[in-house]
Amino acid sequence: MLAISLALNGIVLGSVLLLFSLGLTLIYGVGRIVNFAHGALFSIGAMLGVWLAGQGLPMWLTLIVTPVVVGLIGAMLDWAILARIRDRPIVDSMLLTFGLALFITGILYEMGGRHVQMMPIPHMLEGATTIFGFTLPVYRLFVSLLAVMLAAGLFLFLKNSDWGLRVRAANDDPEMGACLGINREMLMHSVVGVSAALAAISGVAAAPIFMAYATVGDKILILAFMTVILGGLGSLRGAVVAAYVVGLIIVFGEGYLGGQMALMLLFVLVMAMLISWPRGFFGEGRTE
Amino acid sequence: MTDAVVLQSKNLAGERAPSRRPYLLAMIILAVLGATLPFWVTNSPFLLILASHAVVAAIVALSLDLLTGNTGLLSFGHAAWYGFGAYAAGLLSKNFSSEILVILPLTVMAASLTALAIGAILVRQIGKTFAILTLALSQIFYALVFVFSDRTGGEDGLQGVPIITAFGQTVASPEAWYWLLYGVLVASLAGALYLRTTPLGRAWLAIKENTERARFIGINTGALKLIAYVFSAGLASLAGALFVLFNGAVSPDVLHWFESGKILMYVVLGGVGTIVGPIFGAAAFTLTEHYVSSVTDAWLIYFGGLFVLIIIVAPGGLFGIAGSLYARLAAGRETRS
Repeated sequence: MLAISLALNGIVLGSVLLLFSLGLTLIYGVGRIVNFAHGALFSIGAMLGVWLAGQGLPMWLTLIVTPVVVGLIGAMLDWAILARIRDRPIVDSMLLTFGLALFITGILYEMGGRHVQMMPIPHMLEGATTIFGFTLPVYRLFVSLLAVMLAAGLFLFLKNSDWGLRVRAANDDPEMGACLGINREMLMHSVVGVSAALAAISGVAAAPIFMAYATVGDKILILAFMTVILGGLGSLRGAVVAAYVVGLIIVFGEGYLGGQMALMLLFVLVMAMLISWPRGFFGEGRTE
Repeated sequence: MTDAVVLQSKNLAGERAPSRRPYLLAMIILAVLGATLPFWVTNSPFLLILASHAVVAAIVALSLDLLTGNTGLLSFGHAAWYGFGAYAAGLLSKNFSSEILVILPLTVMAASLTALAIGAILVRQIGKTFAILTLALSQIFYALVFVFSDRTGGEDGLQGVPIITAFGQTVASPEAWYWLLYGVLVASLAGALYLRTTPLGRAWLAIKENTERARFIGINTGALKLIAYVFSAGLASLAGALFVLFNGAVSPDVLHWFESGKILMYVVLGGVGTIVGPIFGAAAFTLTEHYVSSVTDAWLIYFGGLFVLIIIVAPGGLFGIAGSLYARLAAGRETRS
């Protein structure tokens, strides 16, 4: 019986991870950037959300304002910093985003991120509900639905919009995309912006569950990295499946073995997976 | 474009200045200054302790440059091995023996064997996956400290490491410790520089320049990368072991990703692949960190900001800037004479 309630919680965590790692995959696919600062953007989202809620903003408005603000911050960061090293070796971009993660964490510390802050749950979403005879807090259900809807929306948008076409073209072959008249700079600004917004909204939506502090994004970043490796670097549908696999592994590991052991279990599984399938679930991860 | 950048960075890193004599002379003077430091700072014992910390940092920086500078593999979790060494040596000294000649080899051996097992899978991945997995690995080690918190002390850290002995003599005075650490640094520096001249070192550089071509000319890239990884992990664990024995205690912070960032910063600041550069990077950084963090709490902002700035402005690090300046000066002098 514990198993089913764990499975439900695993799906909740998987949904948050899904939303978070889609941004990571997107930015990697288009810009070939492994964004180590993605977790810091999650923390910004969580802390900004708590602050906005403290100012008396209703939940739905917080859920809109936070991603917009952080999305703009992301686009600005790309314009001001990431654009400077566009043609450098990939190593530089990894180092740069790593430095950026330290920098953002430092700023968040000064903004009160040393203390754990609580995010109140709105009255409408309080309480618990029963699914198949198992109780689950309403808010967790809401978060998973929100994440799944946003992810589905993103997929539809990528499939059907002009912007999505450009993103997919640049994802497949950036140079060819540039030859066909795609403005890479503008595209990159928007992709980083969207990716930051996705990180922020997962941060603020998960804040009532994970709390908010300067390094709240660290753990989720590691989980998201494991997700994108399991799914194959740059593979969107791989990330979808892997997010739920990771979510379930972590929650079951925590349920049966304890919090820290779950992370180790995941790492061992990922290593084992890499021995035989280095390209992820669908075999479409990049290996160049 | 990428080729041009690689060429440029090669110039920065492996610049053979027209004459090596002034460079060698400067190195020798600096080395002698370093060795005689305890005589210069007799009236401020704290400076000597700070210098000892800087020397430990320099050994770690050197260990990371053994990996990154030689093979181009970027480790975002090098603190894992530093912390591994610290905890392993700390536990050994508390439970087994306080003889440094027993602790150090055992620690390095344990770290190397672990690194061999984990590295065998890691080095087979592409650079990006490698970087991500190293970060994850350091988080795992960080988590391990809390899993076994009854042994490791968990959040409070490992405390009460006994005063150690070498050949049965207790080593307690700050001067003795400084010389011990400095000796290890000089020995490992000499070893790293020597490795550069061996066929192994040449093959490593070939992998760094172009892994695919290196494989085509018959270099077993996987095995050589693994060797570099194990060497690097072994040296980092040695630094960690020395740190805990010197410091008497260690907290889980040494395994945090901030620490990994710091180690990377030493190398980036000094210049990746220059072997000598990261040592100066580590020394400069440790001193700056101490003085800046005594003035302000927001140390991480300056640290992260500097990190970003260096990557954008001076990817060759301080040593790269100094090297290209010196080369330009020397070239100017040669054309005049």
